Parts: sequence; C-alpha cells; structure tokens
Amino acid sequence: MRDREEIIAKVKERLGGKVVSFCAKAPNRLYVGLDGENLPQAVRLVFEEMSARFAIVTGVDTPSGIEVLYHFSFDEAGLVLTFKVLLDAGAPRIDSITPIVKGAEWIEREIHELLGVEFVGHPNMKRLVLAEDWPEGVHPLRRSYGRDST
Amino acid sequence: MSALWVLFLIVVFPGFAFTFLFAMFFAWIDRKVTARVQWRVGPPFLQPLYDFVKLLGKEIVVPAGGSRVLFLFAPLLGLAAVTVASTLVWQANIWPRSGFAGDLIVVIYLLTIPSLSVILGGFASGNRVASLGASREMKMILSYELPFILAAIVPIINARGSIRLGDIAQTQPAVSHISGILAFIVAVICMQAKLGLVPFDAAEADTELMSGPFVEYSGAPLAIIRLTRSMMLFVMPVFLVTIFWPGVAAPPQAGLLPALLGSLKIVLLLVVVILLRNTNPRLRIDQAVAFFWGPWVSGVAVLAVVLALLRNAV
Amino acid sequence: MNLKLKALCKSPWVFHVNTGACNNCDIELVDALTPRFDVERFGILLVGSIRHADGLVVTGGVTRQAAPRLRRLYEQTPKPFLVIACGTCACTKGIFHDGYHMAGPVDEIVPVDIYIPGCPPKPEAIIDGVVKLLRKVGQTNREG
Repeated sequence: MRDREEIIAKVKERLGGKVVSFCAKAPNRLYVGLDGENLPQAVRLVFEEMSARFAIVTGVDTPSGIEVLYHFSFDEAGLVLTFKVLLDAGAPRIDSITPIVKGAEWIEREIHELLGVEFVGHPNMKRLVLAEDWPEGVHPLRRSYGRDST
Repeated sequence: MSALWVLFLIVVFPGFAFTFLFAMFFAWIDRKVTARVQWRVGPPFLQPLYDFVKLLGKEIVVPAGGSRVLFLFAPLLGLAAVTVASTLVWQANIWPRSGFAGDLIVVIYLLTIPSLSVILGGFASGNRVASLGASREMKMILSYELPFILAAIVPIINARGSIRLGDIAQTQPAVSHISGILAFIVAVICMQAKLGLVPFDAAEADTELMSGPFVEYSGAPLAIIRLTRSMMLFVMPVFLVTIFWPGVAAPPQAGLLPALLGSLKIVLLLVVVILLRNTNPRLRIDQAVAFFWGPWVSGVAVLAVVLALLRNAV
Repeated sequence: MNLKLKALCKSPWVFHVNTGACNNCDIELVDALTPRFDVERFGILLVGSIRHADGLVVTGGVTRQAAPRLRRLYEQTPKPFLVIACGTCACTKGIFHDGYHMAGPVDEIVPVDIYIPGCPPKPEAIIDGVVKLLRKVGQTNREG
C-alpha cells in the first residue's frame, strides 16, 4: 500500500542521475525519460521490486527519432508511470524487456513489425500482426511509409 | 400378408409418407411453440417443408478426409430405422392383433439406430469437431438407454409378461398405478435425451452452433438427417403413449373418441418436450451422464420395476 | 435451378463471416438475429457450419490476412448461395479506405449479391436488405 509521493521519491532516489527528463503531467501520470541502456534496470526496479503492473508498450515515430514508451501501473496508488526512450531513427535498437516481463513478448513483436525497432535478446521475434505475404523490412507505422506504398 | 400390402404399410401408411407429413407438422409445432415462448411470431406453417426442399437442391459436399460410403450411407440407415419403427408402433395401435411376439423389443432396438447413425456419420466425416460430437453421442447413449429400457419393462410386467406391442396397447394403462407413473416420468426424461434436445443435447449443439456430428453434412444427406430427427420427434411420443398410456388402440367400431384422446395425449407429450427444451440450460456431458446413472433416473426406474413386480405378484 | 433458388429464398440459412471488422456490424447482426426482430418469420436461421449455409453475411473490410480465408469459405459453401456485404466497410472499406492492411472491399475478393450500407447498419436495415434480396431473387425466377 504505497502512495504516490513515496513511489515518486523512490524512483527518483534509485534511478538518480540516469534520468534524462522527469515530468508529472498530472498527479496520477508520471513520465520518466531514460537512455536505452538504463531501461532494463529501471524496469527491474519498478516491476520486480515495487510490484507495479505492466500495462503496455507504445511506439511513435517522431521527427527527432523513434520514441518507445513503457507503461507501468501502480494500482493501489492510482499512478501510471511511463519510461520514455528515444531511439535513433536510422538504427533503432534497444534491449528487450521480455526476459524481465514475460507479458511484453507480443507487444515487442508488434512494435518490431510496425515500426522496425530491434529488440536485442527477444526470445521469439516472429511475425505477429501483419499478413503472411507482407514484404519484409517495410514498416507501415513509420512516417516514411506513404499513402502510395505497397 | 402379401408383399404389396407390406410395401404399402411401410411406404405410405402408416410408414414413410404418413410419418413424413406428421414429422413436418410436429417440427413446425416445435418451432412455433418455441417462438411463442420467446414472445415472437415464428415461421410459417410450411417452413419445415421449405427447409427440406431447399436442402435437396443444394450441392452435396463429401469431405476428402472421411469415408465416402459410410458418410453417405449413415443418414439412410437412421431414416430406414425410424420409418419401420413408426410403422410397427402405428400398426399396434390400429390393428392390435396383427403384431408379433417381441415386436416391442424390435421397436426399442430400431429407435436406437438413428443415434447410432449420427455417430457413424460423425466419425465418417474426417473432421475433429464431428468426431468429438460423435463421441459425446456415444456417451449419451450409454447413459440414457439403461433407464429407458428399465422403464419399458414396467408395462411388460403389467401385461403379464407379454412383449407384443398390441397386447400392451390393450391392457390397462401403466399410468394407473404409481409404478407406471414413475416409469413414465423416467421415460419422458430419457425421451428428451434420445431426441437430442436441451438439456441433454451435449452431442449436437455442444460445439455451440457448429452442429457437432453434422458439421460436414450438406444438401440431401443433411435433409435426411433433419427429417430423421423430426420423425423421431413424432414417433417417440406416440411410442410412449402406446406403452404407458394407451387408449388409442381400439377397433375402428369404437368410434372417434379414443383416437381423439390419444392424439391429445401425444400432443401433450410433445408440448412437454418443447417446454422442457425452452426453459432449461444445457448440461455438460459429464453432468448428463451422472444424472442418468444417478438415483434420480436409474434409481427411480429400478424402483418402478420393483413396484410393478410387487403389484403383479399379488 | 429456378426451383432451387425459389426454395432458397424461402429458407435462407445465414453464416456470419467477420473479415476484420471493428465488431460493430457484428453486434448489430447478432442483434438482428435475436427474438426481438424475429427473422425466423422469413425462415432465416443462424448456422454454425459453412456447409449448412445459404447466405454468407460478410462484415468488415477484408484485411490481407482474411482475404484468402474468405475465398476459401466461398469455395466451401454448397451451391447455390448468396453473399451479403453488411456494413460500409464491407461495401467500400469505409473509414479504412487508405489503410495499409486492407486487401479490398468484399466484392474484390468474392462476388456480392447485396450491399447493406451503414456504420453500423441498424438491425432493421439489415433485415430490410436481406428481405429485398430474397424477394428479388425469388421474383426473377418467376419471370424466367
């Protein structure tokens, strides 16, 4: 039974200098920006030590790069914590969190197919949502995928 | 008994043509009463006939993985069995002296064949879903046949051991004594399972709308299967009324009244079946088997037999 | 053939195919099959096996995964039968018109006999469409 201030304080204290940006958009909505190499440690902290519930992973192709957001929910405190990682658009690569959170396997497969992000260490990177005859290497949710492609 | 006369009996009256017409009628009553119970209007009177004719005009598709001959032959088996059963039962009612010793047993055997043909057809389909439905039908047969036969023994005991349908149809009705009433109730419950209706239709509709053993059937074979089921819906109430609650059996001189009363009893049984079907949820296969083997059905059937023996030994 | 189609129109059994719809059309279709609207008056029954179907009611704009499967279902249905495209997505891909994952509206995969627009179409509209189709097919035969 934690409350929000406790959670925020603990996250700040344990991640410390690794935090790139920190933004509480609303009392129950916290965005923590990180570098890719610090992500597994942050996920371990929040998922294993603080027992948050893994909600989902989302991905967006922005002008400054591909942003991948990991959403964790602290249900008793009513707080949703999001880790934001900005990846290089040319070669987006990040460690997979599937070894830590088993439930992330499929969403990472989906993000890989639709945005082209490579998840290093993913145990089962197979096609999930796109059709069997969809060409390899074409990622429909990228900004570069135009209306006239495929 | 000339061959032509026998042919007439089996094909026209009271055999195939007669049973066909009444099967269509009873199927319509079933759908209409179901509709009314659900506060709606329901199909027009000729709907079962439209369904039958439409199915005859559809392409017949035989699954490649199954056994072709058995797949097409199984429905015919069921149809033949129920037609002959109907002929025998009506013959006992209209001409009570013209049956043969043991024809009650023949009728009971014949009435199990439609379920067997469902199983054959299901396994011959080469489809996993059909096999599953067929295996559930096998379990159902194992569970409801025993109490049904036990219940059918009671009128035999009452008729001083005669196993001629005609004799049984002319003795005092079994339901005039508690043993007969118990046996009749057990037989009605077993009839619900034999007809493959809710709450005991784990075999047919179990895979919920995928029709179980009938999943690969189309066109004329499907029409025959549905016709067999409708005929069973007609023959089973008639059979039960004949052995438990006779009064239909009367020489033609006795007039119209016994026939009218008999028809009322048959329709009453039909309505009981329809209402049971519309007001109950479906039992799982293991629940259904446990129900039939348990004290409430098999136990009561045994009790009925014992009471009948006591009554008749006195 | 005339008698076959005429009998078909008196007893059309429908099979529901969802080729990637958002489910709204499916909900309205299932609603149309409830006792409230009583489609059994027309002889319409919902069947669970494609071998028993006389009408394929297709909802959804067809996704690339669903397209070969819809074609297979079309081939598995015993002839004669009718295809009903239910909903705007089934008629024209609807709001998913430029989507990267759409193989096409239903009539680019299988031939369609009637289009029922609506997003989603009300049960009354679905019934109206199906009955219009039945009457038209039943009538054409009488004229020859």
